Amino acid sequence: MQILLLLAFLNAAQPAGEVPGPSDAAALTELPDLTEVFSAWASGGSWAGAGEFAQAWSGNLYALGTALLLFVLGAAAASRREMVPGRLQNAAELVVEKILEFLTDVLGSHAEEHLPFLGTLFLYILFMNLSGLVPLLKAPTSMLETTASLALVVLVYVQVTGIRSLGLPRYLHHLAGSPRTVTDWVLLPLMLPTHLVSELARPLSLAVRLFGNIMGEDVMISVFTGLGVVAVAAWLPVGLPLALPMILLGLLLSTVQALVFTLLSSVYIAQVLPSEHR
Amino acid sequence: MTDLLRIGLPMMVGGAAVGGAIGIGIAVKAAMEAIGRQPEASSKIQMAMVIGCAFIEALTLYTMLIVFVLEGKL
Repeated sequence: MQILLLLAFLNAAQPAGEVPGPSDAAALTELPDLTEVFSAWASGGSWAGAGEFAQAWSGNLYALGTALLLFVLGAAAASRREMVPGRLQNAAELVVEKILEFLTDVLGSHAEEHLPFLGTLFLYILFMNLSGLVPLLKAPTSMLETTASLALVVLVYVQVTGIRSLGLPRYLHHLAGSPRTVTDWVLLPLMLPTHLVSELARPLSLAVRLFGNIMGEDVMISVFTGLGVVAVAAWLPVGLPLALPMILLGLLLSTVQALVFTLLSSVYIAQVLPSEHR
Repeated sequence: MTDLLRIGLPMMVGGAAVGGAIGIGIAVKAAMEAIGRQPEASSKIQMAMVIGCAFIEALTLYTMLIVFVLEGKL
């Protein structure tokens, strides 16, 4: 049921930029970004096709840009590894160590094994969230397509980790709610669907949580920016920076949401690991 | 039906906000008291609190999702 709703909403949200329907109302209240400026500049000219493409795929383009930025930063930090690290390598090592320390609280000795996935997830989401605060950029995570795909990746990763660490029979046993007593086995037909639904509700809640928070933040910033311009438009040629406190709040919210997404993913992974690490 | 939705959708958001605010308020209050009693365990308490808040928040955000789905019917 919930997955059907998600799909229904994805379908409603998919043609963003092409057919501004009622469900795009949220997208319309956000501040203009580079792709919109580009498509407005290009409309009617020989670049019109590229402009429409950029606007329709803006979320993917920004996500790709963020990934490229992270890739370049990571490659630059890891290319010349030395005993006495330079500035970039030092910063990168600090970040990685902090994330590892944070994951060790949840995953115990398995933290290092899952650090590449979860650390990348954290940095990727953090950079995508923060790009919503840069003028003329847009947070890709303020679109449900991006967050839903991230949550689906987590779902697949958790299930694959579960099958690999527990083995298929024990994984199925875990999926059935680890029945031990007779009562548990009698209740199995009731418990198995319940567990399956809760397993499938996780990516939905992950995706909607990130999307809702970041979109709410972006809409709030754009509303306050508009308010700052409208409030003094009669007397002053410039607007008031009313959005500034909201941007500071956004810095905090972006970090917290990236943290929550990573934390919940690692908790889901911890649940499918052998029981001594619960 | 549409008129009903026009009244109902904002009320849904408001109701979800009230419930979420009470839930998160209780969770954070308990966490703050626990940290006050045992400051050395603050990092563990904080992590549990963030997870709990995230679950409470998810229920609020389901409402937002439903609102977005129903918004198309206005």
